Amino acid sequence: MRADYVILALLILIPSFVSLGVPIYNREYPELIGLPFFYWFQTLWLVASAGFYLAFTHIKGKEQ
Amino acid sequence: MIGLDVTIVFVSLFLVFIFLGFYGKYWRRGNLNHVHEWSLAGRKLGTTLVFFLIGADLYTAYSFVAIPSGIFAKGSLYFFAIPYVMLTFAVALVTMPRLWTLSRERGYITASDFVKDRFGSKTLAIMIAVTGIIAELPYIALQIVGMQSVLTVMLAGSVNSQTVQEISLLIAFVALAAFTYTSGLRGATLTAVFKDILIWITVIVVIIAVPISIGGFGNAFKQVNQSYVTLPDSLVPAYATLVLGSALALYLYPHAINGVLSAESAKKLRKSTALLPLYGVGLAILALMGILVYGVPEAMNFLSGFPESTRGILVVPSLILFTMPGWFSGIALLGIFIGGLVPAAIMAMAQANLLTRNIIKEIKPSLSDNSEIRITKISSTIFKFIALGFVFTVPATYAISLQLLGGVLIAQILPAVFFGLYVKSLRKLPLIIGLLVGIGSGIYMIEAANNFGPLSSSLFKTYFGPLYIAVIALAFNLAIAFGGSAILNKSAIRQKKN
Repeated sequence: MRADYVILALLILIPSFVSLGVPIYNREYPELIGLPFFYWFQTLWLVASAGFYLAFTHIKGKEQ
Repeated sequence: MIGLDVTIVFVSLFLVFIFLGFYGKYWRRGNLNHVHEWSLAGRKLGTTLVFFLIGADLYTAYSFVAIPSGIFAKGSLYFFAIPYVMLTFAVALVTMPRLWTLSRERGYITASDFVKDRFGSKTLAIMIAVTGIIAELPYIALQIVGMQSVLTVMLAGSVNSQTVQEISLLIAFVALAAFTYTSGLRGATLTAVFKDILIWITVIVVIIAVPISIGGFGNAFKQVNQSYVTLPDSLVPAYATLVLGSALALYLYPHAINGVLSAESAKKLRKSTALLPLYGVGLAILALMGILVYGVPEAMNFLSGFPESTRGILVVPSLILFTMPGWFSGIALLGIFIGGLVPAAIMAMAQANLLTRNIIKEIKPSLSDNSEIRITKISSTIFKFIALGFVFTVPATYAISLQLLGGVLIAQILPAVFFGLYVKSLRKLPLIIGLLVGIGSGIYMIEAANNFGPLSSSLFKTYFGPLYIAVIALAFNLAIAFGGSAILNKSAIRQKKN
């Protein structure tokens, strides 16, 4: 049960940490199809965060 | 001047939109004389519909106008909207299912209902309702500015363009008011799905076609300076606090909570919330248009015919018009146009709920159910026209600045609404004082940051660099709410001992 809580917390905290950790992605290279890193990294993380949140939802759903 | 094909597609799709709005009345039929049927669509929207309805709160004129306009004028700072979207759903996943569950058990329709029940304070509940109504007004006005920008681009170069524009907006609003009056949230939900289909088609086509036609993203980035490529170091604290403050504020807006409470179950609500960051991809594409436009000389040339302060809001519609075939522009422009209308309907509805349930009913508790629903419907109509009148009388750029102020205000109800869900030790008096201090200091800082002139910045210079004012004011507010509650609880324990 406790392990579940740690996983749930991580699934919320990791995407939150990435979105607030500006120095992680504030750079120009490597570029992707002409887009600076700053832009494509944040856009791709939107998709990744949906994955994290879906996993959160899945575990929460099993709990009840 | 635009071609006839643009106009024909635009007008025919607008008629489909109105039809859907009225048809909402017959869809999943319920007794629309009940408040929860009219404003929450009977609390039975599934995963997909909640996804579209709350998505409609994201794809508003804020995404079409404020963000691309900011990127166009100031550069990468305004890309904060993307990590903000990512973070806001983390906040929602932690808070909203709990609010949903309590609301289903106790029959809440608004956040203010919850606060009144939780803290037993009419004063606090009314203050929260008033903050919600005020913060929502400039948000609706911003939607209208977005619709205006479409009409301005479509009517550029024609005679009487100003008059035609005002009449068109008036017609659109009368239609909107009529179908929300009869169909309630059902009409808004159906039209939200229609709107989002058009917008998704638009962003996908634009993000493929435009970079190809200008020879890659690289060519647009060559036209702009370094502050468009990455974030200048001095703005890193500003970026992070804009992300944090906006992410905390979104789910405090009455229209977002209204969308949440219309979900059928907490599980479906969680699932659609988890998927909502995908919506942000479309927002990222729209934001990038603020840079792509630099690679399209015809569009830049067209924009240079407008005063510098209004160019930004015209970026997205003009980029579409100058790179896409006429019929496609018609689809895309209508998508943006109703992209302002649908959220305006949901927002006015949420305001009306607050006014009726949490202000008028508090003052006159004998209000019958019939009068309650009638006052809600009428006031939702009035709120729409107040916003329209506002846009007709003040310059468009003001609506964007007031929207900044709205964000600072709405963030201040966070201690009572979010922490109220989980923290048992909070007391009403410190919450009231914290809210007042948060709002007072927020307004003061935003005025000071703009030298008491027209509002254009929501950042306050501090020792750590410029920070988003909503976050600073919220820090004061939280310190008072928690500190004050701790003192009260301690003295209560001491009294018991004696």
